[in-house]
Amino acid sequence: MLRYLVHKIPSVLGVTVVASMVAFALPRLAPGDPAVALVEGDADPATIEALRAEMGLDLPLWEQYLRWVGNLLQGDLGNSYLLNRPVSQLIGARMESTIELTVAATLLMIVVGLVFGILGGSRLTPWARTAVDAWNTFFIAVPAYLVGLLLILFFGIYNRVLPVSGEVAVLDDPNFGLQYLILPALALSLPAAATVSRLVQTSMLTNRGEDFVDLAVSKGVSPRRITTRHVARNSLGTAAVVVGLRIGDLLAGSLLIELIFARNGLGSLAVGAVQQRDYLLVQVLILFAVVIAILAQLASEITLAALDPRIRLG
Amino acid sequence: MSTTDLDNAAAPPAARRFTVPVSLARYGAALRTPRGMIAAGILLALTAIALLAPVIFPQGYDVQSRDRFLGMSTQHLFGTDEYGRDIFVRTVYGLRTDLALVAIAVPVSGVIGSLLGLSGAVWPRFGNLMQRVFDVIIGFPSFILALCVVVVMGVGFASTVVAITILGLPGFGRLARSGALEQQNREYVVAARTLGVSRRRILTRHIVPNTADPLIVHGAIFAVNAVFIESGLGILGLGVQPPQPSLGSLLNVGMRYVREAPTYPVGPILVLLLLALALSMLSDSLNERVNRR
Repeated sequence: MLRYLVHKIPSVLGVTVVASMVAFALPRLAPGDPAVALVEGDADPATIEALRAEMGLDLPLWEQYLRWVGNLLQGDLGNSYLLNRPVSQLIGARMESTIELTVAATLLMIVVGLVFGILGGSRLTPWARTAVDAWNTFFIAVPAYLVGLLLILFFGIYNRVLPVSGEVAVLDDPNFGLQYLILPALALSLPAAATVSRLVQTSMLTNRGEDFVDLAVSKGVSPRRITTRHVARNSLGTAAVVVGLRIGDLLAGSLLIELIFARNGLGSLAVGAVQQRDYLLVQVLILFAVVIAILAQLASEITLAALDPRIRLG
Repeated sequence: MSTTDLDNAAAPPAARRFTVPVSLARYGAALRTPRGMIAAGILLALTAIALLAPVIFPQGYDVQSRDRFLGMSTQHLFGTDEYGRDIFVRTVYGLRTDLALVAIAVPVSGVIGSLLGLSGAVWPRFGNLMQRVFDVIIGFPSFILALCVVVVMGVGFASTVVAITILGLPGFGRLARSGALEQQNREYVVAARTLGVSRRRILTRHIVPNTADPLIVHGAIFAVNAVFIESGLGILGLGVQPPQPSLGSLLNVGMRYVREAPTYPVGPILVLLLLALALSMLSDSLNERVNRR
């Protein structure tokens, strides 16, 4: 395990460093001088020059990059010049909403994914099997934001059952908070849950053909017990990995979900920053997203190895 | 000795050198499966109506009127929007935008990705470098990468094309590389090499044609993603910009006015789903019939 981690360090670091370079390069590749963009109306060249110096834009590129990374590593994420507040403060203020949504979506994904996966891998009547298959096929094919739009139409517009726009912090007011949270969390989790259940289903059907199942049948173990103890249990390892892999997707998917449900999370912060060309903010958010995605991927690989002794990393 | 052999022998070498790079029969078989037939039918119909849009609706997508936010009716199939424009007409023109995007971005991404992958198989060092580059692209969640492109290039059709192209590179590249590496060790390639066939000829005559099938199937799969990337960017307001419609931007505006006109986004969503459904059915049937393992 340790060997695997050590082995993995160069590639993880490499991707992170390159991602940081990309994030650093973005504002410099974008058209226009960031200093000019900040100045209201016409300004004399001296003011702009002073602003450039203040932002460090007059230094050579590599020095700017090293400075930026150095500051990031020390926890100084810089200032958003447009909003005139530290980036760390902006992120901190929006973090709770995104975490709320991602945690709720993860829980829903696990529950829905396992229920439908185990249902699909159990003995079913043909009709039930068709229903489960259709459900999975639909949600695998459709991206989260479309599910979100459909949920808004069905539960917010045509039947006004649940609020579809805005949010209330769950910790402040659990009752209203959950009402606001349920549709976005469902939208985010259903497509991910479908991939989980498809995998659980496949793995259960494979396990059903194993010798130990035949042995259990010949011993006279009841079908239900075979399904729960022998088949389902052995399929959970696969589920754990997919869940880990999907958490990164959920975070990235929250970008669109937050926007269409008008939630004030990191995703809508990022989109707003891109629209207003607040590059310093965009850079940090992009790097943040990539690092989290990489970590989630790494974590799921480690989980798999921990769960399944047949898999040796290294 | 049959006559065909004599004919072939008599044919000029230039004519004989032409071979169909992939066995087209299997593509035909894929399209003749029930799923393939439905997919091809839907796609043909959608493409036809999108191509003919300027003929069917010569007045264009920007005709405004005082009838704002009408519901669905026989006169306005999908209703009218905030400027009294017919949403059905706008959806057809939006479909045109989306199909154009897919038709440009997917082949471009496929060709560049495959070339990078093949070069990676020929020059191992370059291949290793490309693998790392692909790792980085995959490390970016797809919409974050699309955001990066928008930051650099601004919003619009072009940046959507570029975003889709970049996002497709790793898939095509890895498939081409692994396919080529697999073919390189096959007996017939080894035999050709022993016979003294030039490296270039082995590459173009043996390796490229035999790695093409999975790439084409992947192209069909990736087309679905391309449509969804466009509509995602459109919903964020970072895709194709108004007044030009695209399925994504129609959804963006439609959801904004959904309280005034509850059926506004329904038409675009249906068309988007239909397009995605047809493309994924096509890729499924191709995958079954063409991708032999």
